Amino acid sequence: MRSTTLHTVAAATAAVFVLASCSSEGGSGGSEASGELSGEGTGDSCSIEGEVPLGAVLSLTGAAASYGESQQRGLELAAKELAEKGGITYDLTIEDDQTDPKQGITLFDQFVNDGASLIIGPTLSNAAVQSDPIAQEAGVPVLGISNTAAGITDIGDYIFRNSLTEQAVIPQTIAKATEEFGLEKVVVMYSNDDAFTESGFEAFEAALEDEGVEIADTLTFSKADTDFRALLTEAQGLEPDALVVSGLIEAAIPLVTQARELGIDVPIIGGNGFNNPRLMADAGEAAEGVVVGAAWNSASDNPENQAFLEAYQAEYDAAPDQFAAQAYTGLMLIDEAIRSECAADRESLKTALGELEDVPTVLGEFSIDENRDAVHPAVVQVVQDGKFAVLE
Amino acid sequence: MIGPVPPGRAAGGHPAIPIHDENGTAVQQLLNGIFIGSIYALFAIGFTLVFGILDRLNLAHPSVFAASAFVGIELVTRGGMSLWAALPVVFVFGAILGLIIERLAFRPLKNRADAHFAGLISSIALAGMLIALLQWRYGPDTRRFPAGTFPDTRYEVAGAQVTLVQIVILAISLTLMVGLTYMVTRTRLGRGMRAVAENPTAARVLGVNVDRVTATVFAISSALGAVAGVLFAINVNTAQLGMGIAIELKGLAVIIVGGMGSLPGALIGGLLLGLAEVFAVQHIGSSWRDVIAFGLLFIILLLRPQGLLGARKVREV
Amino acid sequence: MLAEYATTLTFIALGAIFAYSFYAVLIAGQLSLGQAGFASLAAFSAAALAPSAADIGDVPALLTAIVIGMGVGAAASIVLGLPTMHLRGVFLAIATLGFAEAVRVVLLNSEWTGGAQGLGVPRVLTVGMAWTALAVVAYWFWRMGGSRYGRALEAIREDELAARAMGIDVGRHRLAAFITSGAVAGLYGVLFAYYVRLIAPSDFDFAAAVDGLVTAVLGGSTMFAGPILGSGFQTMIPELQRAAGIEAGWIRPFLAGLLLLVVILFLPGGLTSLIPRPVRMPAAEDDAGTGLAGRRHPAAGDTVVALAGLGKEYGGVHAVRGVDLEVRAGEVVGLIGPNGAGKTTLVNMISGLVPPSQGTATVLGTTVGRTPVHRIAAAGVSRTFQHSKLFDRLSALDNVLVGAHLVSRPTFLRRLLWLPSARRDERAAHQQAARCLRRVGLGDVAATRASALSYGDQRRLEIARALASDPSLLILDEPAAGMNHVEATRLSELITSLAADGLTILFIEHNVGMVLRTCTRVVVLNFGEVIASGSPEQIAADPLVIEAYLGAADEDAAADPGAGSIAEGTAVDPTAVGPDAASPDAVLNVRPGAAGTLEPPDTTSRDAT
Repeated sequence: MRSTTLHTVAAATAAVFVLASCSSEGGSGGSEASGELSGEGTGDSCSIEGEVPLGAVLSLTGAAASYGESQQRGLELAAKELAEKGGITYDLTIEDDQTDPKQGITLFDQFVNDGASLIIGPTLSNAAVQSDPIAQEAGVPVLGISNTAAGITDIGDYIFRNSLTEQAVIPQTIAKATEEFGLEKVVVMYSNDDAFTESGFEAFEAALEDEGVEIADTLTFSKADTDFRALLTEAQGLEPDALVVSGLIEAAIPLVTQARELGIDVPIIGGNGFNNPRLMADAGEAAEGVVVGAAWNSASDNPENQAFLEAYQAEYDAAPDQFAAQAYTGLMLIDEAIRSECAADRESLKTALGELEDVPTVLGEFSIDENRDAVHPAVVQVVQDGKFAVLE
Repeated sequence: MIGPVPPGRAAGGHPAIPIHDENGTAVQQLLNGIFIGSIYALFAIGFTLVFGILDRLNLAHPSVFAASAFVGIELVTRGGMSLWAALPVVFVFGAILGLIIERLAFRPLKNRADAHFAGLISSIALAGMLIALLQWRYGPDTRRFPAGTFPDTRYEVAGAQVTLVQIVILAISLTLMVGLTYMVTRTRLGRGMRAVAENPTAARVLGVNVDRVTATVFAISSALGAVAGVLFAINVNTAQLGMGIAIELKGLAVIIVGGMGSLPGALIGGLLLGLAEVFAVQHIGSSWRDVIAFGLLFIILLLRPQGLLGARKVREV
Repeated sequence: MLAEYATTLTFIALGAIFAYSFYAVLIAGQLSLGQAGFASLAAFSAAALAPSAADIGDVPALLTAIVIGMGVGAAASIVLGLPTMHLRGVFLAIATLGFAEAVRVVLLNSEWTGGAQGLGVPRVLTVGMAWTALAVVAYWFWRMGGSRYGRALEAIREDELAARAMGIDVGRHRLAAFITSGAVAGLYGVLFAYYVRLIAPSDFDFAAAVDGLVTAVLGGSTMFAGPILGSGFQTMIPELQRAAGIEAGWIRPFLAGLLLLVVILFLPGGLTSLIPRPVRMPAAEDDAGTGLAGRRHPAAGDTVVALAGLGKEYGGVHAVRGVDLEVRAGEVVGLIGPNGAGKTTLVNMISGLVPPSQGTATVLGTTVGRTPVHRIAAAGVSRTFQHSKLFDRLSALDNVLVGAHLVSRPTFLRRLLWLPSARRDERAAHQQAARCLRRVGLGDVAATRASALSYGDQRRLEIARALASDPSLLILDEPAAGMNHVEATRLSELITSLAADGLTILFIEHNVGMVLRTCTRVVVLNFGEVIASGSPEQIAADPLVIEAYLGAADEDAAADPGAGSIAEGTAVDPTAVGPDAASPDAVLNVRPGAAGTLEPPDTTSRDAT
């Protein structure tokens, strides 16, 4: 028994090294084969012979798995549609960073070495700050599809994103809500151990100040928390006109339910994290009247969005959330950029992405600005009858 | 609920201490603390049972907590069971998980010199596998019990809102804990457990089937953790893969505060932690809540390492 | 090739360094989860305080940061260690975990750390620097392994009490291990920060601590190469899975967990258990001169032990009361009495393990009571235990080397510098240990693990270990228990020969015949009191003793002449029991259970891991 084990382990160890060396040979082979990556024609008629290698680094397991999975679905749906469209063949490799910075960095490194024309991701902003510089140094363009923290695109001229920052979404939300509900005094709640929600909080704080709304108290929680009763009771005692919450959907659902249960009936205002159909599905009645400022108008009737909603529902038997919508849009934008020059090498792609302007997408008319950030309409939604409706 | 409005944030950016002249808020917070504390206690009792009797820390316990919440939800949504029917099933499910954990992660190590560390690692490994299986079966998204699983009845107690669910949770937690205490102190099985806790070798000599007692302890511990998971998911209206990890640290704090191995200690520790957290939110600032929990833990460890209700260890040489 | 694997290799180095911070305490048997907290404090302080790489250059900036980080890590570990060092096992783990969590929350709430969004740090670290750092750390622990300090830590891990009795200052050693751990964790924090470009408090959370612990235990916490193997394994798993084309998603963590479980179940001692460890027994001809610190022994006839009115009470029960006894140098005193008579309690008081409730005791000029065990050992007391308390996972030779702790010189720092004097001192210690092993007849099993020895050999090994400290007073607690007639006779001869060397010996034994044959004086204890004291001949004839010892049984003995006689040592002592049934005053951690309290809440792990 004992000696068998030893052999097994020894064999496994040997296998690690054999496999590792195999992958190294396979990896370096495909790098910078830009010769095959340009083709004839422009736009829809563009046809490229070689496969366009794209890498995506998503958090498919670990703490951020639920976003990563939505993004994976969005990307795969887009990839499927693009394959049907023809002309360009994408070799999209989706990898899991396990919500671990070390994996994120390793994967960026591997995609850079393996010759990816572009890297999509990573899921979390903190991971982007850690791994985007690797692509920047190697001259590989990166398209962030969910990074909302400030300064991501300042990493360098190869770093783009199609996700609006919280700063682009929240002021509008607060302005609309203030107008609608006559807010004078609010309680702000946010999870202070998450980069996304913390930067959301900062945006809320600044916007509230701009609008002259008093923040009666700021309450923090942890992203893992699910019992908010103590915080809500505290907030309730302050008699606010609204609760402003910067949290992820995992927190949003119990928070909204428990608030209503405690008899808090003032509006609850959330950011991008709330823009998820599960809010209505899981919080039910309690979600009614929740205001959500978001980058993606899920109720938009633009043809791209309608087609996306339908295709997504058909493919996964579920409604998409904002992560899926932005991921889907991301790949579509990459396709658009490649077709504009009919070239898919790193440099051409970098140039073409920077020149995207007024592209009709699921997110609305989409442009990339001079800072390589996204420009498209944001929306203020309100939950009505179990659906997101535009707050007007 | 109209009262003087306290200033929002004091200079320096720290939240000001809100003024509480509202009886309702204070009572509500007290109840909030008791309800969450009772779930902490039920969860922690599983930890403390295994540690107390077998001297092992089972780090797969939190994943049982999460797994059973998901299984409970599936039983209700897919199986069409009522919550009352699902709870005993989950109890059994938890017990089976406990047996598996004992068999795979602990029994093979029992005669090893490093069983202490190895048991930690093997239970961590098993926990990781269990969570992976959960993700395979249920995906990474949050789940919850369908609306209407439990009647949405509310009561008002001294100006505070209490739901029927919370009262039931408290009742179930207390019943299970009292039942367990009775079992340990009064029954044959309980005597066997205490004998094993005292000295496994001597227990074996006295005819106690140590392996069976060990397995039973794991089963009971996990069954309690399983019920705690379901109750927690109902209480907060959500279940997620990471829910066990979120409560794990609190469970550890509870068993230290209450006294390792002490069942009443786990109850008191759980309630104390629940109340301390609420107190922190009320008077210190919500950002410092977790520091309060661990501060409490730390002080207890320094002043009374055996915990509030743990008997003083006699260390004779 | 190397460039392509630079990232992976760097993370292997970083993971190994972090695992070393766990190894540093695991090797001393401590389970701490506070390392993530140390690493986090170090990383943030270094990133905030160290001069920028742009101003002074990469390497100077990194070195300054490392100095700051290791300093902060070590300082934090002192702050945490001083109040918590008395905690054991899981209690220490949870206390340190609580500290790490508190650090995380405080850093999250601080302005200067950037909160959850973290603090940007330039990437300075290269794969070469990471491996250089790892090499230094690994070198440190490698050289520690064969040093007196390293052996002392291992001894503490295996059996804290026995380590104390061998003269090891457990508190200081534990704290030193903890500080080392803090400094190494600090080093990891800084290197990590200067590689990943952005550090956030969540990079140093509970999961990170668990990762470090898993890596260390997986690699093996008893050999210096463990953390490197563990980190290589852990880091390669995702690589391997990607290379093998396993689809991203739940299956990967599942397989990783499975692999971890398999390794931990089937490779006790971790991955390093695959590496054989030779033990070199110094050849007999090395026996020449000794380079060990000599000890001054009391001259024959000087008072070695002086007890006056000594008593010990446990919750109203007098285990020992009013014992007056004097032992002079060169005597061989046998302590006999029925089970529960208080023999072991008395001996425990003399060796400083148990403070007396009444009376005074002076042993080799040291007042027993408040004096820590290791000081009494340092004064020249060495002992064995009723139930063998060997360092189970150490070789027989290493067991005895630990016994020589008091008479050997610290070698660790000199070993780091490869000074020849360190080698000389180690050789001297080895020779001493080998001599002691041979003296008890265990020369040929030097490389065998203590736990693998036969029962009789274990008893003898304990004696060899006790002898290695060149004691003035040797206390043996039932050395012949479980030995057969031949072994007992040999033991008796050994004791006689030791006495001939001038060693003072006090021993408890149930084999009355052996006591009468070996001792110069016999003391009989019953119900905690001395009922007789005198030469073996006097004792054998003392009716009080016969009655106390055999009680009603003397009639049986008379009726059945075949039962043997006390004086011949062939009588079967009705009170002698096997090693498993502990007498009430045995060396045990007594675990009383109160009603409703399942567990005797203890601050010590049951097995001294």
